[in-house]
Amino acid sequence: MTDSAGRSVLDRLDSAAGPWRTPRWGTIAFLGVIALVLPHLLLRFGAGTFIVHMLILFFLWSVVAQSWNLVLGVSGIYSFAQIAFFAVGGWVTALLSMNLGWNPWLSVLAAPLAATLAAILIGLPTLRLRGVYVVLLTLAFHELLGNLASTGPREITGGGYGLIGVPRFDFGPLSGLGHLANSYYVALISFVVATMAIWRLFHSPIGSAFSALRDSEGYAVGRGINQFRIKLFLFGFSAFFTGLAGGLMTHYLGSISSSVFAFSVLINVLAMIVIGGWGSFGGPIFGTALLLGLQEGLRDLADFRTLVLGLALAAVAVLAPTGAWPKLRDGFRNFLDQPGSGDPDLEEPTEDRSAETEEGPRLT
Amino acid sequence: MRPVLQALWGGILSGSVYGLMAIGLTLIWGTVRLLNLAHGALYVVGAYAAWTVLEILGLPLAAAIVAAVVVAAIFGYGIHLLVVRPLLGRAGWDSASIIATVGVAIALTAAALLIFGPRVKQIPPVVPGSVIFSGVRFSYQGMVIVAVAVVSLLSLFFYLANSRQGMAIRAVSQDMDASALMGVPVETTYARVMMISAGLAGLAGVLLSSLLFLSPNSGFAPMIIALMVTIFGGLGSVKGTIVAAYLIGILESTVQVYLGGSWSLPVLFLFMIAVLIIRPNGLFGVTEAHRL
Repeated sequence: MTDSAGRSVLDRLDSAAGPWRTPRWGTIAFLGVIALVLPHLLLRFGAGTFIVHMLILFFLWSVVAQSWNLVLGVSGIYSFAQIAFFAVGGWVTALLSMNLGWNPWLSVLAAPLAATLAAILIGLPTLRLRGVYVVLLTLAFHELLGNLASTGPREITGGGYGLIGVPRFDFGPLSGLGHLANSYYVALISFVVATMAIWRLFHSPIGSAFSALRDSEGYAVGRGINQFRIKLFLFGFSAFFTGLAGGLMTHYLGSISSSVFAFSVLINVLAMIVIGGWGSFGGPIFGTALLLGLQEGLRDLADFRTLVLGLALAAVAVLAPTGAWPKLRDGFRNFLDQPGSGDPDLEEPTEDRSAETEEGPRLT
Repeated sequence: MRPVLQALWGGILSGSVYGLMAIGLTLIWGTVRLLNLAHGALYVVGAYAAWTVLEILGLPLAAAIVAAVVVAAIFGYGIHLLVVRPLLGRAGWDSASIIATVGVAIALTAAALLIFGPRVKQIPPVVPGSVIFSGVRFSYQGMVIVAVAVVSLLSLFFYLANSRQGMAIRAVSQDMDASALMGVPVETTYARVMMISAGLAGLAGVLLSSLLFLSPNSGFAPMIIALMVTIFGGLGSVKGTIVAAYLIGILESTVQVYLGGSWSLPVLFLFMIAVLIIRPNGLFGVTEAHRL
């Protein structure tokens, strides 16, 4: 238990009772070594370049999906503004580095700050309101920024083509590794940092506060949880990493245009969360990998892809509301040991949450 | 005088169509407690159905309007069967239903794109020509649209107020359990509301597509504005929605006349935020705070 916020409470709590958990360092170290070595192995092969590119996209998009899941799935705020925050991050760092000549390493730090600021500005009026209102205002915000990006002043938005020729990262003495491998490491670091932060948040007092708010609002408010403050914090927190991913993506691809506001982008990320398993911790990560893989695998389907995605979204929402990840995880656990004999310490609290949403009435 | 008149006429015209869209949303919200984000897709379904009848079968516009309403209503019933009924009464209804309707919207839009292609289409006006009154052009087509919309809204209003089915709808929206105990068929009422609402979206689709262009994505913008109208009028309130539709229509067209078209969305957005801060329940809303 390394969390400083949790430490004072730990003495009074059984380690299995609360959400204060330590990660499994062995698994993480194992995955970390693989992730570090992977690009060097892959780049020796011809097709490796493409796979490394896809991995970069995976890292960045899964940061977005995880942050959105935090808002949409975990705390039940129906916000559709996440792509707008992504775009805000991208635009801010692109403008700073192109027009003001900032170093990309410096300007990309401004991206998450700008996105958080935007989130707080939009969150202040909306988050006091309930479900439907949030859907409307965030969708309208998305639409508004999209309109602005395609029709706004040309020196800011870049017009129809967007901003092209955004300076890329300069890796200085490390550039011997190659730009792609270096970009991979940058994306990997941001993915790890974001995932760790979100994991920490999941398993913290704030994490239990927002799942309490989602599952039984009256009870949570009665226990003195400030709903508005928690929601605003989450909104800003998720926008922070989304903006960072937007900034990194812009520098990696070297451009950003109003096409980021296209409905298909929003749908793709939404599908990552919902199909992967919203409200669970691993769901969005798994969903990102699944959808990026499908995107390549189903390239022949072309126009039918969106149709399939839409149907899949509806089907998952109706038939398997928990999504793919919790089912896979439980299946794997059952395979490893017989159900019921599991050590309670090993069961993640997210599992209980997803089971509740699926089955029946909670605290009323 | 001329810009004022122009803004007024434009507002009444678009307000009528927004009213048709928004009434459907508010009905579903009031009775089923469903935020139907597939409403814009139903608009597109109706418009393409009408276009097919007009351009491919070569039938008159009256037949096209009927086709739009009927086809959209059938799709509405389909959504009821496939999405609403399996989800009803389940925990997590809010989130699951929103995502499911988003999925339906995506699938319908993609299907329209596959069948009809990305090229924009236009539904030809029934009665070409216009009359010019103190410098403002009033097209006959616009008058037909306003007339059809107003007649539909009025008949819906009387249907809800006086008919047995309408009373059943209102009873269910007030208290589902009580009306079920009184022998109101709740399931059937839900299905009926879904069909009426979808039919109205289809009607809005055929009417507005004779003024604007029709493409697979063209239902999105009207849906956003219809959502604003519903919320401004107070979710679940029919009277409030109709008043709000015309107010928003007039506001939008005033902004377009005086500031230019690209300002209408930002101004509407700021207006909505202001309204929600000052009157969170809309114009005629009754303590909606506890409904979701």
